[in-house]
Parts: sequence; structure tokens; C-alpha cells
Amino acid sequence: MTQDPNDGLTLEARLARLEEILARMESEDVALEEALKLFEEGVVHVREAEKVLSETELRVEELLASGETRDMEPDS
Amino acid sequence: MSDDALDLFEDAEALEPESDPSEPVAETVEAPAEPGPKVWSVSQVNRAVRGLLESSVEPLWVGGEVGSWTRSRAGHCYFTLKDDRAQLRSVMFAREAQRLPSDPDEGMRVRAYGDLTLYEARGDYQLVVRKLEAEGKEGLWRKAFEELRSRLEAEGLLAPDRKRPLPRYPDCIGVVTSPTGAALHDIRSVLARRAPWVRVVVAGARVQGDGASREVARAIERLAATGLPDVMIVGRGGGSVEDLWAFNEEPVARAIAACPVPVVSAVGHEVDVTISDLVADRRAPTPSAAAEAVVPDAAELLGHLRRTPERLGRALRRTAARPGVEVRERLSRLVRSVERRLAPARQTLDLHAVRLEQRIRRLTAERRARVSGVSGRLDALSPLSTLSRGYAVARTAEGRVLRSVDDFPPGLRFQLRVHDGTVDAEVRGSDELAGGGASAPSDS
Repeated sequence: MTQDPNDGLTLEARLARLEEILARMESEDVALEEALKLFEEGVVHVREAEKVLSETELRVEELLASGETRDMEPDS
Repeated sequence: MSDDALDLFEDAEALEPESDPSEPVAETVEAPAEPGPKVWSVSQVNRAVRGLLESSVEPLWVGGEVGSWTRSRAGHCYFTLKDDRAQLRSVMFAREAQRLPSDPDEGMRVRAYGDLTLYEARGDYQLVVRKLEAEGKEGLWRKAFEELRSRLEAEGLLAPDRKRPLPRYPDCIGVVTSPTGAALHDIRSVLARRAPWVRVVVAGARVQGDGASREVARAIERLAATGLPDVMIVGRGGGSVEDLWAFNEEPVARAIAACPVPVVSAVGHEVDVTISDLVADRRAPTPSAAAEAVVPDAAELLGHLRRTPERLGRALRRTAARPGVEVRERLSRLVRSVERRLAPARQTLDLHAVRLEQRIRRLTAERRARVSGVSGRLDALSPLSTLSRGYAVARTAEGRVLRSVDDFPPGLRFQLRVHDGTVDAEVRGSDELAGGGASAPSDS
């Protein structure tokens, strides 16, 4: 298994997946093997999500008439 | 009044007197030597009176009740202003009338500002109204608000079950507001503090003045068309009723109702409720509050994330502890799986993962303590981190752990358990460390 099979997921997707994993792991009928896999995946999501939370800076873009966006000046 | 009459009226407005200016009224009356009096044409009289009226009366405010209000197809409004004894014909042309938030009701008390003039074609004198305000605070604004609200309500656009929940963790926030306003500044600073991971896309629009409502509506549509935002904030900072009016008009209301992602409306300060507030999925009292509503707080989220590995570990432990699987089997499988899967990633695991790992090791230790007669194989496996650091455990084919030089007679075949498997080995010689054991030193 590669280290992060879910690389490039959005924060929202990761958090949603974490909820799923927790729900599955906390259910009664999960097999040990599956629980271990989920556990491992969960750890990856936690790590990646935390990286996103602590490392990013707000990106503000302006929507142009063309439908494209361009970075806006930093707020004063 | 027919449209023809209206047109005449407008033409009449533009007319300049065409009579000989050297023929003043006084002289005409005194005109001598002619048989019979000087006869004026009707047009001449009306033109003259109009001139008198327009030149001698300054623009003025007139208060009264509205009567017989009609709006022509061209948008001109005709009505009378009345009190209990008299009435005054009045007109408000389309250019001014289009700024009215709503038409006044019959009998509504208003005040009108304008100029007196004479409509020559009819000989009626009238007030050409430039501004019209209902008496009482926000009269016509309030009326327009209520009218649009009942219309939207009848269409079901204000129904509570139309309100969509906001996404919990949006990646992209759309903002429709003035690109230079205080609202955008406030929204940016709240988002930077609470959720710096989000992407903000701003669609600028004029938020007050003629056509602002359509501009805001268009910005909402353009932003939605990009497919980027998970949620939108539409709004502006506080202002007068008139300043906020664009958000009480139909185009904005319709655009919000049609928006494919949830919309948070944030117009003005706490007290101002607008139509867009009513149509939106969520109303925020201020732009800052809207920003707070659309994103979770980073600190809270981090706390939540930090608790997650613990929860995962707890769940795993519960699963491992479930009856039904033979305990030793369960333990060995657990140990092997965790070892195999976590070892390669170990170096990159952050603090949380390390904590998790510790939980798992503790879990295995607890299990082990409760199992009597655990095999040597299991014993060899349990100090997982020791093995992965490069240590190995030697044991016999039967699983007995070899701890001392004395356990290794020359020629003995045994196994080395390393972190990811076993290695077959054979003793070729041994050398006891000085002082390393109880046996007598050997010099081989």
C-alpha cells in the first residue's frame, strides 16, 4: 500500500472521509483487518488535514469578466 | 388621460414662446388707434401665463393626499395632490418616476417637490414632480418591500424548507459585494483568521445606485457559473434604506433563489432585514458574521483533528477486544498487520500517529499480559519498534528465544526474527564479552 493513496484530496473530502472511517470503525461489525486498514488511512487523513490547516494562507481571487480569476491584492 | 395627451404635454414642455417678444402684455392692452380691442390667441395667453408661472415661482414642496394615480405605458405618472378643499394636478415623468420604490396608494399622504408650470394644450396648471416621498418613515420603501415579499412568498421562495444547510468544510467561498467596500475587508480578515485554507473568489458589483440590483444578480450568476464556490456570501455594509435598496429588489432575490449553492445574505447592520435576507439560505447580521457562518474555526477544527487518532485507536482496540476470535490469533494478526503497514511510514508519521502507534503497542502489551503461554514467535514480535530499529531476536525452530552465548552451541540452526520477517542462520562460533555474563570467559 502506498503511503498516501488519497493525495490531493480537498480538506472537505478528507474530513468527510474521516467521519466515514470513524463511523465504520466504531460500528459493531467491522473486521479486524478492515479496522486496521481504516485506521491507517485515518492517520494519513489526519496528518494531511492538519498540514493543510496549519500551512496555508488565505487565497483571494477576483472573478474577471472572462470567467477567469486573478489574485487580488492583499488586504490592507 | 390618453397617451396622445401625454405626448402633447411633453412637447408643450419643450416649447419656447414664439410670439414677438416686443409685444408685451401691457402695451397690447393699451393698444391705441385700432378699431376694437386686441384679440389674443388662446395659445398666446397660455404661453404667457406659463411664462409668468415658471419665472415667478421657485421649486417647492407641496404636501397632500394622492388621488387618481395612473402610470402610463411610457412610465409617466399622473395624479392629483389634494387636501380637503382643493386639488392640484401633478405629473411625475418616467425618468424621476422610475426611482420610486413603489407607487403610492390612493389617499396616501405624501410630499412632492417640483416646479409649477402650465400645460398649454389644456390650460391646466400643474406641478411637475421631481421627488415624491410618503409621509411617515420609509413609506414607499416599506410598501415596495411588502409587495415583493408577498409575491415571493406566494411563489414559495421564502419557505423554510427551501433553506439549504451550509457545507461544513467549504474549500471555496464565493463573495459578491463591492470590490472596494468595507464588507470585503471584513470578510477577508475573518476568513484569514478562522479558515486560512479556503479559497475566496470575489465577484465585484456595485451595491447601490441605479442598476445595482441587476449588477449584483449578474455577479451571483457569473460566480455560480464558474462552479468554484461551495457557498456564497452576498452583501454589503450598512447604509441608509436607499443605499441598501438593491438588496430589496427582485433581480437579487431571484438570483439568490436560483443560485445552485447555498447563499448567506449579509446586508448592513443587525436591524436591516432585506428581501435578500429572506430568500437566502442563511441571514447574517453583518458581513463579518457571514464569514464566520460559512467556515469552521481553524482552532476548533484542529482540536477535533487531534482527538481523531485517539478515537480511531479506541475503535481499533474495541474491535481487537471483541470476543469470537481466539485471543492469541487475534493478537498476532494485529501485531503483524500493524507492523507491516506502519513500519514503512513510521519516519514520516507525525506526533499524532506516533501517539496512535503507542496506543496500539500498549494494546498489544495488554493483550499479551492476559494470554498465558504466548509463543516465542509472539514474544519476538512484540517489541516492534526495537526490531525496526535494527535489532533482531534469535530463536530456535521451536520458538524458544536464544538469549545467551550459552544458547548457541556451534552448528545450531536457528532463526533471526527481524522487523519484516525471519532469516535462517547457523552458529559458526561464539565469543562471550568479558564480564558480559556469568560464565567463565572464553578465549576462542
